[in-house]
Amino acid sequence: MNRRDFLKGLAATSYVTLSGASVLAPLNALASTGANANDGWLTTGSHFGAFKMKRKNGVIDQVIPFDRDQYPTDMINGIKGLVYNPSRVRYPMVRLDFLLNGHKSDTSQRGDFRFVRVTWDKALSLFKDSLDEVQTKYGPSGLHAGQTGWRATGQLHSCTSHMQRAVGMHGNFIKKIGDYSTGAGQTIMPYVLGSTEVYAQGTSWPLILQESNTIILWSNDPYKNLQVGWNAETHESFAYLAQLKEKVKQGKIRVISIDPVVTKTQKYLGCEQLYVNPQTDVALMLGIAHEMVSQNLHDKSFIEGYSLGFDQFLPYLMGESDGVPKTPEWASKICGVSQEIIRDLAKVMTAGRTQIMMGWCIQRQQHGEQPYWMAAVLATMIGQIGLPGGGISYGHHYSGIGVPSSGAAAPGAFPRNLDEGQKPLFDNNDFKGASSTIPVARWIDAILEPGKTIEANGSKVTYPDIKMMVFSGNNPWNHHQDRNRMKRAFHKLECVVTIDTNWTATCRFSDIVLPACTTFERNDLDVYGSYANRGILAMQKMVEPLYESLSDFEIFTRFATLMGKGEQYTRGMSEFDWLKKLYNDCKADNDGNFAMPDFDTFWQQGYVHFGEGEPWTRHADFRDDPEINPLGTPSGLIEIFSRKIAQFNYDDCPGHPTWIEKTERSHGGPGSDKHPIWLQSCHPDHRLHSQMCESEQYRATYTVQGREPVFLNPLDAKQRGIKDGDIVRVFNDRGQLLAGAVVSNRFPQGIVRIQEGAWYGPVGKDGSKQGGNEIGALCSYGDPNTLTQDIGTSKLAQACSAYTCLVEFERYQGKVPEVSSFSGPIETLI
Amino acid sequence: MSHSNAHDNSINQGRAMVYRLLSALFAKEVDQPLLHELTSAQAQAFLAQLASDPLLGTDVAKINAVLLGLTTDKALLELAADYCGLFLVGTKHSASPYASLYMASNKQDGDEVLLFGEQHQQMLDHLEQSQLQVQSEFPEPADHLAVILAYVAHQANRVNSATQLAFINDYLNSWLATFSDKVGQCDNGQFYTALANLTTHWVKSDCETLAASQSH
Repeated sequence: MNRRDFLKGLAATSYVTLSGASVLAPLNALASTGANANDGWLTTGSHFGAFKMKRKNGVIDQVIPFDRDQYPTDMINGIKGLVYNPSRVRYPMVRLDFLLNGHKSDTSQRGDFRFVRVTWDKALSLFKDSLDEVQTKYGPSGLHAGQTGWRATGQLHSCTSHMQRAVGMHGNFIKKIGDYSTGAGQTIMPYVLGSTEVYAQGTSWPLILQESNTIILWSNDPYKNLQVGWNAETHESFAYLAQLKEKVKQGKIRVISIDPVVTKTQKYLGCEQLYVNPQTDVALMLGIAHEMVSQNLHDKSFIEGYSLGFDQFLPYLMGESDGVPKTPEWASKICGVSQEIIRDLAKVMTAGRTQIMMGWCIQRQQHGEQPYWMAAVLATMIGQIGLPGGGISYGHHYSGIGVPSSGAAAPGAFPRNLDEGQKPLFDNNDFKGASSTIPVARWIDAILEPGKTIEANGSKVTYPDIKMMVFSGNNPWNHHQDRNRMKRAFHKLECVVTIDTNWTATCRFSDIVLPACTTFERNDLDVYGSYANRGILAMQKMVEPLYESLSDFEIFTRFATLMGKGEQYTRGMSEFDWLKKLYNDCKADNDGNFAMPDFDTFWQQGYVHFGEGEPWTRHADFRDDPEINPLGTPSGLIEIFSRKIAQFNYDDCPGHPTWIEKTERSHGGPGSDKHPIWLQSCHPDHRLHSQMCESEQYRATYTVQGREPVFLNPLDAKQRGIKDGDIVRVFNDRGQLLAGAVVSNRFPQGIVRIQEGAWYGPVGKDGSKQGGNEIGALCSYGDPNTLTQDIGTSKLAQACSAYTCLVEFERYQGKVPEVSSFSGPIETLI
Repeated sequence: MSHSNAHDNSINQGRAMVYRLLSALFAKEVDQPLLHELTSAQAQAFLAQLASDPLLGTDVAKINAVLLGLTTDKALLELAADYCGLFLVGTKHSASPYASLYMASNKQDGDEVLLFGEQHQQMLDHLEQSQLQVQSEFPEPADHLAVILAYVAHQANRVNSATQLAFINDYLNSWLATFSDKVGQCDNGQFYTALANLTTHWVKSDCETLAASQSH
């Protein structure tokens, strides 16, 4: 048969091939996805800042900083990579075995990643069926929908609000208290200074620059962390850091970075570093305090007038209560800082105006409450709390804290809770004796040990028996500790639902995965500057939601409609109705104080400016009159000794700041004979937690052989035969990972840094593709939480202790696996 | 669209039918309606005719054997999971069906390019010139293999051989073999490996047909 006859023979069968299912259609000029009609510049924003984006031929072509942003982060280069990322969740997906067997599926397969596509209708009804089953069989204690995180920006589409309102309309569920970033800090500080402090506006930078003689950056790296913000970040803080750099250069302000490593900020400012052994800051602080008392340097009248409990603390400090005077000599042996320097610090800190600026990492360790409390005691002894350029702050590295606020009212948000009078479908509040709220980082404990009762912040918490988890815009397979422990826990869950834009590890360990669109595929608005409230930013949709992704508003409107509660959910308002309402409510709140145009004008212009703010001093009102303006502590004063905490009778958080040894500590501490290296997993320089790790081309600007960098000391590296650029295996008894060596003398011996937010990519123990779902798997990319310890900080906060972690490392000589983190689900079951 | 077009003959009809079938199988999972259609007498006759080409016979037989074995919903779902793992998630450990991932001029070893890029735009231009667009129910970049194959089917009856050949050379031949190898590496079953092979072999022989018709 010749070719012509063969082809004619095909035609002769008259097989009409799926003509109705062609992927092509006649061009419809109006509906064309390639339409150029809307091309041009639009305004939007994100955690990474505000932008102008240019749309060309229907796709995002250029992203440039908003014209008010004088210090944009280079993470702007990763934005397009978030939208057009190859690992987008494109369609609703269900794990195959879950689709076949529902709540009786083989959960040990979770992580073997065999999924199928389903329609939205099917996915949402499976979601609802699962909620029905859990509420019916177990009640609200079987459902945890309270693990929430950094979401994407936008007051209307905030994914946490949508998920919790919609799931809350179905039934009640377990919620969290606290967060991973500041769990210990935000629990201890209300006892000490009367507020969380970590999320409070701080003394304005102009006053600090004017008044401070000395700034102590204690475990604090603002130049790194201020690149991102909770709302669209203005980056105004960087102008003040530039002024500080100049003052350091001129010798007008002395800045001392107390930190085991040379931070990005220290490098930028060109300031001093004081090395301290990891996790020993409390010992150093006690040594300084002892010297202040010994040399009579402390401000006795401030202590007398503004604080409570110094008398109960003093016997401990001087060693009268435990036989161990906390002298500089004593401290030096623990913290590695010489006695002379400790003595000098006591003088320096009390000599002029001293502003102490605490970072957050230091409280993400076992007994993380102590350094925050003890630092407040030091500041009290210095006696400058409430003075401009003096005292202590716990957030100058976060979301523009310290930039003067405009004073304008910020826009509200889509409601997270049910409206008054609304009842959930399953109106059941019987948590069967379990706590309905658990400390944020203890959920894996709860899954593994349901029914167990623990101490937490003066209460008893009884772990619920969690059967189902719902996550939205939240990636606990990044931020929680100890991946192998998480795997064990996830084997116990009956159903896991995740809503996200990209295939995070959390999606991969789920049963139902729903595709949300990115920030740039929906209309929204945001406050410009979380604390500055500099203005209101329009977030104009750049492109329609890609693939079958939907906005959070649309996803949960559909879900609520499935429950017959669509109208209740949206209050009968569309996306734009809501935007107008949020804007107009804000306009009314600001009426007479801040002029705002009508909504249409605002939307067209893309921004409303509220103007600059006035400098302000934290705790000045308290200093002015502590009786009229008391702190929020039980006594209204700074509590150096807390009667309340003492009454809890916790061995790991007594009534005053105390040096307590850790379960793991480097530089001669417990466990260092076996795994001598301290792993520091700080917030990343080029991401917001795990957000933007997926942005391929941007990630390539910092990876080493495609892996997350592990920063190593040159001598440590040399001793192990490691060169810059090698692949390194980092390990301990909890897990193992591969990372790319960056050898740098910014990192002292005995310390490695792997920044958190590195996406988990498990492969077989020996580097083979199969076996990623197994306990002991190797992380192919370098997620530090493969190695970290999943223990509470103390019985007080029960917060995350990621910084109490020892490891060892070696040059990796095994089979080098491909990185599996960014590829969506991969079948790895052996 | 002109049905009196000189290119509209039964030979090109036959060619277009093959391209349409391949496009349909890459466009989505085999579901019950599609399975029903593929196992109908007409379709079976078509597949038998296709299998009569020795170059294509083995793969057509494999595909048909899988189709005829899809007698339970579970079997269909298993095949859908193969499809999902290959074409719907990620790109590194799957065989994403986007030309851009294989063709991008700036692609470096180990790097991935973004979707909706250069090849997507070029395909949009081609479609627009032909008064076509990607169906709204198929929300994929225009450089998806199913779109390219459907466009070749569309061209078969409408433009001359040289134009067709040039398009196939630019948009299929440059990456199809690499794609097919990737499917072979990543496929858990046999169906899509056979389909990718069939596509490669079919396009190769079709190019020969087009080249021969040009020289006439």
